[in-house]
Amino acid sequence: MNGNNEKRENTKLDEKLQDHGQKIKNGISPGERISRSRLYPLVFLTIIVLVSVSLVMVISNVTKARILAEKDAAIISQLKAVFTETDDYESKNDYYIAYTDKQVIGFAFIATGKGYGGEISIFVGLNTDFTIKDIKILSNTETPGLGTRITEDAFTVQFKGLSSQDISLAKDGGKIDAITGATISSKAVTDAVRKELEEKIEIIKSDMK
Amino acid sequence: MTQQEKPNTNSRRFTKEILKGLVIANPVFVLVLGLCPTLAVTISIDNALGMSAGVIFVLLGSNLIISMLRRITPQLVRIPVYIVVIATFVTILSLVFEAYLPPLYESLGIYLALIVVNCIILGRAEAFASKNTILLSIADAIGIGIGFALSLIIVSFFREILGTGKLTVFGKTLFSIPVLSSDPLAFFIMPPGAFLVLGLLLALFRWLGVLKNE
Repeated sequence: MNGNNEKRENTKLDEKLQDHGQKIKNGISPGERISRSRLYPLVFLTIIVLVSVSLVMVISNVTKARILAEKDAAIISQLKAVFTETDDYESKNDYYIAYTDKQVIGFAFIATGKGYGGEISIFVGLNTDFTIKDIKILSNTETPGLGTRITEDAFTVQFKGLSSQDISLAKDGGKIDAITGATISSKAVTDAVRKELEEKIEIIKSDMK
Repeated sequence: MTQQEKPNTNSRRFTKEILKGLVIANPVFVLVLGLCPTLAVTISIDNALGMSAGVIFVLLGSNLIISMLRRITPQLVRIPVYIVVIATFVTILSLVFEAYLPPLYESLGIYLALIVVNCIILGRAEAFASKNTILLSIADAIGIGIGFALSLIIVSFFREILGTGKLTVFGKTLFSIPVLSSDPLAFFIMPPGAFLVLGLLLALFRWLGVLKNE
């Protein structure tokens, strides 16, 4: 009796063991096997990044034309605001020419400076004698309330009528007063305008010949 | 539980998750998360609204995707996965803003891109979306998003009125206070003003919380 019982229990145990072995062999679904693989995290992250990059590329392509059009429209509206009497303009490679009755009345270009918080983009309008007609800050990421005051007329009006040698801060021997508390932003604008102006004068002069 | 009751409790859970974000788990005033954008962009109601719209969009998107992927995301790389998902939505958002809402894009500046590192969004991904169903994760995103929006609106409301003397929404001046608008307390538009307003509001909310608990 006793031996019989033992035998029965043994077979039960064997069955259990076999079951377990089967589970180990076949029980893991293919999905589970993949997710247990060492490479799985790497593959997963790679797929996520690929999907993300392709999505961003698609959106970027869709919005690209629109973004460029917006930027162009912004520049043209600035051109019209600075040269109020202009009736025609021409877009050269990296500057614009404003006309009235087919006469050149001025030039314009975009200068970019490195400010306190990032890039500052400045629209510069020139008279035909290469003095400043007016400047406008197109975009900036300066500190709100301090650096952003470079966009105010009180600051930009100082540039009117200046030629390149006068465009630097008063403490550097120029004619521009820096905004209190925003010297870096003021200097960024001033230096960007002067540098770009000097370059553009050369280009425009050689083009005019 | 009968079958009729089941959708009922589900929808109750859904509304519960939404309401949670507004008051008891308000991201700014209670959880004290996402303070960087709260301090930085709240100089006007317009900015607050634009920022909130952006955060709600990113939060909805990231909660949705992360909740969908929760069963197959390996533990080891879950944080990089969350960051990639969030960064994708932020990049899409900033491209769309640049193309269709250039003035808002300009005024939000760097803070739009910085939504990537907004701890509210990563926090919700890790604490909620990675453990809950898609539907509840959406509810959580809506609740927390609106809670964040309300906080930004409250802070910017005080800062704009005190700092400029008037309240302008989408280019329309709603009202202006005569003495204040001619001689505004510009301090409130500057960063220290943000800390002061936020600090006082935090104190107020704590006080209200204490009163409620008693």
